[in-house]
Amino acid sequence: MWDTLIINPMTNVLLWIYDALGHGPHMFGLAIILFTILIRAVTWPLNASQVKGAQAMQELQNDKEWQEIQKKYAKDREKLAQEQMRIYKERGINPFASCLPTLIQFPIIIGLYQSITRALSATPYDMLKLARTVYPFQNVEAIIPLNSVFLWMDLGRPESVQVFGFALPTLAIVVALTTYIQSKLTMPASTNPNDQSAQMSGMMSVYMPLLLGWFALNFASGISVYFITSNLLGIVQYAATGRANWSSLIPGGSKDKKSPAKK
Amino acid sequence: MNKKRLILISFLALAALALSACSGAPVSNNWHGLAADSERAYLAAGSFVYAVDLKTGGEVWRYPAEADNKFSFYASPVLTSDGQLLAGSAGATHVFVSLDPATGRENWAEVFGKGAWLASPLELNQTIYAPNTDGFLYRLDLNGKQADEPIELGGALWSAPVSDGVFLYVASLNHYVHIIDPARGTVVHSVDVGGAIPSSPAPGGGGVYVGSFASTVEFVQPDGAHEVVAKTGNWVWGTPLVDGETLYYADLNGVIHSLDLDGGSQNWDGVQPDDAIIAGLLLHGDQLYAAAESGSLFALDRDGKIVWKKTVGGRVYTSPVAAADLILVAPYHADAALAAYDVEGKQVWTFTPAK
Repeated sequence: MWDTLIINPMTNVLLWIYDALGHGPHMFGLAIILFTILIRAVTWPLNASQVKGAQAMQELQNDKEWQEIQKKYAKDREKLAQEQMRIYKERGINPFASCLPTLIQFPIIIGLYQSITRALSATPYDMLKLARTVYPFQNVEAIIPLNSVFLWMDLGRPESVQVFGFALPTLAIVVALTTYIQSKLTMPASTNPNDQSAQMSGMMSVYMPLLLGWFALNFASGISVYFITSNLLGIVQYAATGRANWSSLIPGGSKDKKSPAKK
Repeated sequence: MNKKRLILISFLALAALALSACSGAPVSNNWHGLAADSERAYLAAGSFVYAVDLKTGGEVWRYPAEADNKFSFYASPVLTSDGQLLAGSAGATHVFVSLDPATGRENWAEVFGKGAWLASPLELNQTIYAPNTDGFLYRLDLNGKQADEPIELGGALWSAPVSDGVFLYVASLNHYVHIIDPARGTVVHSVDVGGAIPSSPAPGGGGVYVGSFASTVEFVQPDGAHEVVAKTGNWVWGTPLVDGETLYYADLNGVIHSLDLDGGSQNWDGVQPDDAIIAGLLLHGDQLYAAAESGSLFALDRDGKIVWKKTVGGRVYTSPVAAADLILVAPYHADAALAAYDVEGKQVWTFTPAK
């Protein structure tokens, strides 16, 4: 079921793009980038709801009623949670709307990883599986084996660059950095240190870059190309709304700017 | 707060686990490699190379003694003229080892090549020719030292070189058969057959026969001239088999062909005993043996009539090997890693490695 619904279509789309690009050197990397753009286009409504949800949450942080309940029930978490839910309900805000696209990314990431490794077929057994994956319309005899070279990388292997004898994982660093920037930009500015939503977002903005950086460090670099492209598109998409919280990229910058005490 | 943090960390850990589960080590998995001499079968089955007694089916030795993620053996081991057993690893480090076939003791181990060892080497005139997935053909002396600079061929090399007595023929996944002058160490011709070549060419008729993903078998001559001698309905994965004026080959549709090389006509039509055939065919005595992906082993007579069929179990991708009047089959994803049959199809023993 997983193969039929996720792996096979993804692999075939990747191969089709690769073939359309002329299946030469660097083209599989380009195919991953175009595939990522396609995925972002397909999940556009979800991403838009994430942006909208994040904006609503951001606006809520500066709302008087919201700030008041934070102060009033600072020591009664149960009551605070009830009041927060009431406000969410009254204003039609889904506090999890900004998390959903992130969750949806995971099957895509897993599927893409498996599609990339299957397409690149490191072993005869993988190649045989690829033979059973491709749809009849593919020009598979001509495009196999795929050229896994993209820029300085082998897309089938984890990436590193030798610097003074050390293997520097440049892609993993870029993945972690762009994930951090994206999550920080969409993170609602917190006015209250006890605000649980902001705390969750804060944790996500730390853990997600570490997690994706770890993936990039250990897995085929093709997946890193996906992460970076996806993150950059996310940043652009959010910045285009004009609501990007650029000050939050600097530690403490968001709080300084938004703190009600300074208003 | 602590509870939420715990949930978040648990979720991220689960996500990491989910992705880790679909991760492979350097080269994730592949079917077994198989070779034999008159006393033992040598099975390259992932973490270990096993030597199996042909009389009893018992394990003689395994290499290494303990599983080590540095080692993943898939290429068929090769016996050299001076009594070494060579095996290349596709594990975390690309170790190429020489073992004593009687004891499994390591003679030497060298790490070279940027890619994995999925192809068996060839020993010719005391030089070991070892193709690597990095696209280079490495040349070693019998002590494991690189005798000459490796020859860059390009594409992943998955199959053992063959020789017609003068030239070497090395097939590449990038559609080329490279014809190499071993004395000068130069590529004299590179022939594009139009599809990836996963298995070794078969020497015969003053050249080699090459099956490929172009669903053809081509005859390639030492001067680089080549022609399609047969078209098939699907990919030709296993090495074709030349027997005098007859060429046997099978395809992924599971059809076994017998081509009269003299007249260019098929000796029989539509012999399709079972499932897809990835393994090379074996000719032993008067019978032709074919192993299908479904896990079946077939014996056919020279007219293409199925003499017997046995279910080995698992999936069979490894070419059967004949030794000491036994037909050895190495199934993949099966309880037993190796099974021996006599020529009448009676199972003599099976070998299941002890944990």
